[in-house]
Amino acid sequence: MSALGELRTITHKRGPESAASKRARTKDNKVAAFFLAPWLLGLLGITIGPMLISLYLAFTNYNLLQAPKFTGLANIQRMLGDERLAHSLQATFTYVIVSVPLQLGTALALAVLLDRGLRALPLYRSVFYLPSLLGSSVAVAVLWRLVFGGEGLVNAFLAVFGIEGAAWISSPDTALSTLILLHMWTFGAPMVIFLAGLRQIPREYYEASSTDGATKWRQFRSITLPLLSPIIFFNLVLGLIGSFQTFTQAFIVSNGSGGPADSTLFFSLYLYQEGFSSFRMGYASALAWLLLIIIGIFTSLNFWASKYWVFYDD
Amino acid sequence: MTETRAITTPGRRVEPHAGIPSGSSPKGSSLRSAVVSTLKHAGLILLALVMIYPLLWMVVSSIRPNSEIFTTPGLFSDSFDFSHYTTGWNALAAPFSTYLLNSGLIVLGSVIGNLISCSLAAYAFARLNFKLKTLAFVAMLVTIMLPIHVLIVPQYVLFAQLGWVNTYLPLIVPKFLATDAFFIFLMVQFIRGIPRELDEAARIDGASHFRIYSQIMLPLMVPALATTAIFTFIWTWNDFFSQLIFVTKPDLYTVPVALRSFIDSQSQSDFGALFAMSIVSLVPIFLVFLFGQRFLLRGIATTGGK
Amino acid sequence: MISRLQRRMLAPLALGAVAVLGLTGCGTATTAQSTELTDEDVTLTLSWWGADARGQKTSEAIKLFEKAHPNITVEAQNSDWGGYWDRLATTTAAGDMPDVMQFDEQFLASYANRGTLLDLAEFTDILDPSYMDKKILAGGAVNDTQYAIPISGAPSAVLINTALFEQYGVSLPDLTTWTWDDYSETAQALTEASDGAVHGISPVGVDSFTLNVFARQHGEQLFDEDGDIVIPVETVADYWQTELDQIESGAAPSAEQLSESAGVPLDQYDIVTGKTAMQFIPAGVFTAHQSAAPNAKFILADWPTDSDTEEGFQYMKPTMYWSAAATSAHPAEAAALIDFLTTDPEVGTLFGTDRGISVNPDIQEVIKPTLTGADKIAFDYITNAAETVGAAAPITPNGASDINAVISRYNQEVQFKSSTPTEAAEAMIAEIQNSIDAAK
Repeated sequence: MSALGELRTITHKRGPESAASKRARTKDNKVAAFFLAPWLLGLLGITIGPMLISLYLAFTNYNLLQAPKFTGLANIQRMLGDERLAHSLQATFTYVIVSVPLQLGTALALAVLLDRGLRALPLYRSVFYLPSLLGSSVAVAVLWRLVFGGEGLVNAFLAVFGIEGAAWISSPDTALSTLILLHMWTFGAPMVIFLAGLRQIPREYYEASSTDGATKWRQFRSITLPLLSPIIFFNLVLGLIGSFQTFTQAFIVSNGSGGPADSTLFFSLYLYQEGFSSFRMGYASALAWLLLIIIGIFTSLNFWASKYWVFYDD
Repeated sequence: MTETRAITTPGRRVEPHAGIPSGSSPKGSSLRSAVVSTLKHAGLILLALVMIYPLLWMVVSSIRPNSEIFTTPGLFSDSFDFSHYTTGWNALAAPFSTYLLNSGLIVLGSVIGNLISCSLAAYAFARLNFKLKTLAFVAMLVTIMLPIHVLIVPQYVLFAQLGWVNTYLPLIVPKFLATDAFFIFLMVQFIRGIPRELDEAARIDGASHFRIYSQIMLPLMVPALATTAIFTFIWTWNDFFSQLIFVTKPDLYTVPVALRSFIDSQSQSDFGALFAMSIVSLVPIFLVFLFGQRFLLRGIATTGGK
Repeated sequence: MISRLQRRMLAPLALGAVAVLGLTGCGTATTAQSTELTDEDVTLTLSWWGADARGQKTSEAIKLFEKAHPNITVEAQNSDWGGYWDRLATTTAAGDMPDVMQFDEQFLASYANRGTLLDLAEFTDILDPSYMDKKILAGGAVNDTQYAIPISGAPSAVLINTALFEQYGVSLPDLTTWTWDDYSETAQALTEASDGAVHGISPVGVDSFTLNVFARQHGEQLFDEDGDIVIPVETVADYWQTELDQIESGAAPSAEQLSESAGVPLDQYDIVTGKTAMQFIPAGVFTAHQSAAPNAKFILADWPTDSDTEEGFQYMKPTMYWSAAATSAHPAEAAALIDFLTTDPEVGTLFGTDRGISVNPDIQEVIKPTLTGADKIAFDYITNAAETVGAAAPITPNGASDINAVISRYNQEVQFKSSTPTEAAEAMIAEIQNSIDAAK
């Protein structure tokens, strides 16, 4: 409930209302209908229907090729004894908990560094953003094997120092870490959002504090962090949602298997395998709604916690 | 790191001989900032190399013989061969330009759609009070929490009923209906960073909400709009799954779908051509980002001055 | 105002309800189907997986077909292997299946048993596969109904890169009589001679075809006619123990190396990149291996045997099939297209060995003189082997379409020693049988 309360504060104005907004308030419903019309149409026309259908399918045995058969809670029962599900939850949680803070931390640090004050910044920014452009390119899979494979670049580099490297991508113990690295490598996307957010902070704040003799670090803590907090919050919420759903990179690197030995079997990958390779779309839908609940809980926690550290100017 | 020290240390030694009689403190600090800046550049260049190594490797792979691609992680090759570009361009059912144009069309529609629909919705969420607002906001967030793989079948059925399969409508129309809630949330967060005094003042002057939205908010939101445009561009350009499912006619294929045509998991694939055409297809998005970041970084400070 | 707007917006939601009906309506053909060709204008969709070379040949074949049947237009759809099956499942779920499809043995029963494919025997006037060896034709039947026409077929064979054996001075044993011990020892000798630079073998494959041939060497089989998994636990355990022994002795690469190349496209197979010298493959993909590895010198040999191994353990597994949709509005034309693609000599020459060596003897006659190099080796091997192969094997049943992924997963558990071969074999058989039962 407190998460909902925070949601209310995010969507509603905080603090004492001005006369103007009080006056405007009564009229807002009508105006809002206009502004929200495309979104509502999309929600009701395109989004809700398939979502509700997938919710219904979660309670059916549906093999895609024949009509779904209602089976009540059978899919949920199946989840309880599903070892691969437990596996995939473990892999997914590890991935989310490690890679989200790492990626956002890197992105924020680089964004602050690349904001202004250095030569050739546009070039750096573009170069750091490049890996995010590659997206789901098949080349990434090939290359990842050449870099982290048993005879790959990393091990060749380690061999210079006499260290015998592991078989990073092919050992169940280390495969997940290479995917976390791969995720970090695409820090360009949150970095771009941070960069845009940094430009929203008025320069005068920094100039004023510089004359007061504040150090860079203090400026970062007392000006940048609070004023950027709505954007950090945004990146965190979306980073969590995105990482819980992570699919493409694991799919291309493991050739869709989630291997070796299920060590990179992320939730969405498992769900995809169940739905499309094993023709158990009913179960896959149930998994999808389990994922939605998990993401929902984490997002609510996030919104609840945000009132302690996110500052809005309005 | 050692290299930068080698460069900067002589500089320090040279300083006393320069013998310019000025206050040592500003001189020292400018030197320190030069050192810091050099170190920064060195670090950034090193990081940049790590970041673009894969791309460099792809470029090199696109000009070396197919048999070398999977055995050489390095960047050097004995023989260079640009034929992958010409064969790749013409290898598929249509010249590769067709797929670039198809993708371009979808991207253009998606970018425009997202910019309009998401900014409208974001304005409502950030600045208006209306019934069921919290519920609507939650609904918006929930819609991005379900994976595409369980939605694609019902979506396909829906679009098939509408007769939209094998057109670009299933890929573009949803963007005009703000189904990419990600961007609504992004813009909401940005609008909330814009001081309310700006639009309240206009409100008191009797400006309508649409006027405030179009005349005040949109110009102030340029970084968020640019972010949206760039992300929409890149994600749409790279989106494989929905383009594969909704478009089955080869002459309507888009770049990501066409690129897969170079690969056959059970038979011989043309990876050289695949890499060559991947590079070709990266050029537009790289250019968009290189030039688009100007708008991305046009914050309040700069726009306020104009 | 809002409620009026909302009410207006409910109209699209109604479409969502229609979508539910769409899901339930699929798979049941409602159109009255004619078994006769018409003179009316007809449009067919033809769907296949494969890379661009196949696409171009198929487009040419379509042109030939359209010339022979001026009232029929064929629209081609193609994609890569993974995308092909995702798209086919989605379009089939929506009742929007292509008219004619390239099919694979793994998925055939899963689609056929669920009523999505056309019984091609109803069209014998148009599509008559009587030219085909019954042992191969049976591979396209599910529950005695001919849902698919095999395009090509091949036994499993050992692919050997003789260049590596020459390079390291290791001689091969007599390949017509070699035993499993010969096989492992030769492999080990090569690994040792090369100081570990290459390994003798990529071990017994992780696919159902190899497992089935292995079972048949022991007088057993993977699936029975009823579509149940009947391979004994000991045989699967033995299959994996052989692999463990080969890893142990150095004949095969380490578990890590093997998992690194699990599931990669053909170009990146260890045998293609020259890291291993021998591997079990379906003989039909010989040419693809040779052209992907120009430096290798490949030959084909029959599997090693033991003294008590009986003849006829090999079987002709259809490499690919053509099938038609039960929902097709033009089933007769679809059958005509399949007939044309499998019997027209011009198409036969055009396709060559791209979809494997045709199982049509007439086409074999036509293409034989045109073949050179790797194609010729494969052709000779397969046509010779066809004389000695045993009965057709029951195809992968409904519910087990993901069998290769399942085998590979348990195989990795064994390789990384998190399960013993027997434990993994028990669990794997139970899991597959469960999926089969659930689909019945």
